[in-house]
Amino acid sequence: MSEKTVCIGFLGVAHMHSVSYAANLLRMADVEIVGMWDRSPSLAVDWSQRLGIRRYEQAEQLLDAGPDAVVVCSENALHRPLVELAAGRVGAILCEKPIAVTLADAQAMIERCAAANTRLQIAFPVRFAPAVVELKRRLDAGELGQVFAVNCTNHGSMPGGWFIDPELAGGGAVIDHTVHVIDLLRWFWNAEVTEVYAEVSDSLLHPGLGIDDAGLLSFTLSNGVYGSLDTSWSRPPSYPIWGDVKIEVVGERGAIYLDALHQYVTVASNETGKTQWVSYGSDIDRGLMADFVAMVRSERAPSITGADGLAALAVALAAYESARRGEPVPLENVIPSLNR
Amino acid sequence: MQKIGVIGTGSIADVHLEGWRRMPGVEIVGYYDLLPEAAARAAQRYGGRAFASLEALLAAVDVVDICTPASTHKELVLAAADASKAIICEKPLARHSADAREMVEACERAGVMLFPAQVVRFFPMYRRVKERIDAGAIGKPAVYRSARCGAFPRPGGKFSAVHYADFAQSGGVVLDVGVHDIDFARWCCGDIERVFARGLTFAGRPYQDHAQITLRFVTGAIGFIEVSWAHPRGVFRTRVEVAGDGGLIEWDSLDRPPLLVELYDEERGLQRIASSPTAPEDEPYYAELAHFIDVIEGRAQPIVTARDGLEAVRAALAAIESMRSGWPVALKEFGG
Repeated sequence: MSEKTVCIGFLGVAHMHSVSYAANLLRMADVEIVGMWDRSPSLAVDWSQRLGIRRYEQAEQLLDAGPDAVVVCSENALHRPLVELAAGRVGAILCEKPIAVTLADAQAMIERCAAANTRLQIAFPVRFAPAVVELKRRLDAGELGQVFAVNCTNHGSMPGGWFIDPELAGGGAVIDHTVHVIDLLRWFWNAEVTEVYAEVSDSLLHPGLGIDDAGLLSFTLSNGVYGSLDTSWSRPPSYPIWGDVKIEVVGERGAIYLDALHQYVTVASNETGKTQWVSYGSDIDRGLMADFVAMVRSERAPSITGADGLAALAVALAAYESARRGEPVPLENVIPSLNR
Repeated sequence: MQKIGVIGTGSIADVHLEGWRRMPGVEIVGYYDLLPEAAARAAQRYGGRAFASLEALLAAVDVVDICTPASTHKELVLAAADASKAIICEKPLARHSADAREMVEACERAGVMLFPAQVVRFFPMYRRVKERIDAGAIGKPAVYRSARCGAFPRPGGKFSAVHYADFAQSGGVVLDVGVHDIDFARWCCGDIERVFARGLTFAGRPYQDHAQITLRFVTGAIGFIEVSWAHPRGVFRTRVEVAGDGGLIEWDSLDRPPLLVELYDEERGLQRIASSPTAPEDEPYYAELAHFIDVIEGRAQPIVTARDGLEAVRAALAAIESMRSGWPVALKEFGG
């Protein structure tokens, strides 16, 4: 039985996740990628040729083609104008994380989409990692009893490019790597971060970088759990894999150690001159795309909302604020009376 | 021949005595313990004799090995310094900073070696981490992480669990366990600028304690330490990672051991025994005691000083203060 074909466009592809998102959509039945646009003609040409997707010269032309939904995978600072452009023209938008670079931008995007009756989803693919799903199931079942603390890392390699441009990225390692794990913790416990303390440094791991590349967050959640998160771009080029997502939970009845992406074969290659860990784990972007397409096809609300994106961003921004002030920052100061 | 006197004959003394017993050039002369029967038991097991008083022990030995709880260290160290004995003292050096400082200064004045038993520096994997940093393998250390997670301690049974649960005596997991990782972090990254911590210490859970400590070093490096007495019994999880501007070093006790035994029987099912043995001379407590002897006999420079022991205590107490107040604590002006 064939379902109605869902037509999707890409508005901005500067984030490398766009390639995996598109590749997954291309493999899905009854999904068509109608076209793409990026502000950089050279990137647009390269990307569209690589994936065999029609390139539009103007973002408006892509919207005129009438997609059911768009994926916004631009530089962080362009999420707002592109989401605002698409709101009301499509039924749904999938916006790459972080939702935006300021809370005002995030709030404006959420309000615009709500007013235009466009459903806004944020791309947090780690929610679809099978080991993460199992961790959530075990937490939901109460296996640990009362949970005390979480010790988390989302390490990465220094990505370069626009990720280290403060104007386009809104920050470095902290804005890049706070939001994934914070989103997971909020999702696990339906709880909010209430306070953040952070040690953040520019150019600590990469002398001369000019943006934060090392961050350690210490936070409390509204359910009483306290935790930590290392967002550092601390995996050197010589390391066998780009990074990690680890969450260790300790509670009154035991501990659970999650190393979400630790499913790989070890490849020693004279070609690359190093040993690499090559993943055989389930593609988490496939889960994200299937969920998004199912949402586009139905009437239901997104599984990960703009408000989720805003709440995660608020924690990253509070970390920067804490590092500037040298003191813990209550989140209520960062999100005053936000209606969530 | 160094004549060794052991003060306090609890579980850590057993570990030391297994080392002293097989070390050439030392003689276990005897023991002093507040519980005479404990000292007598040690004499029976390891040789030497039980002394009825501290003074009697000090009169008979060259070296004192202090294996008592932290809150008793000051009095014992001051007496040993007065008697001009070389001292190796278990960690934490003291329960309070002022006590640790008084001990360090008294030994400096008396010209007596006070060696803090920061044994993590002698664990072969930690030693290798430090050696690789010194060799320049990772450039300048930037982000330090380590963890030391186990169940609530009860080495001698109920009595010792009560001791560890008494915060006034033990300082909880942050002082008792935290000084290990704080000292190692200082060895790798230098002096600590400020400390922030969250934990269970004041959560009213007498037999569970846990903390997460965030550090900023004077060099600008940052660090994170997790210490736990809240993990399931039987678990002892440790790990360390240091990222620098030129590379990364990591080790995790969950890594595959060199020896893994799998046995099956119908009653108990599958038994798995992991083992990571070392040569006898590389066993960390033995290596620590042997290094101490090398130092007092002039064959080696100490890799850890009494000042290091004091600084580890200060940083741990600053972490406890941060947990209490909810604010970061600058170490420079922290008295503790």
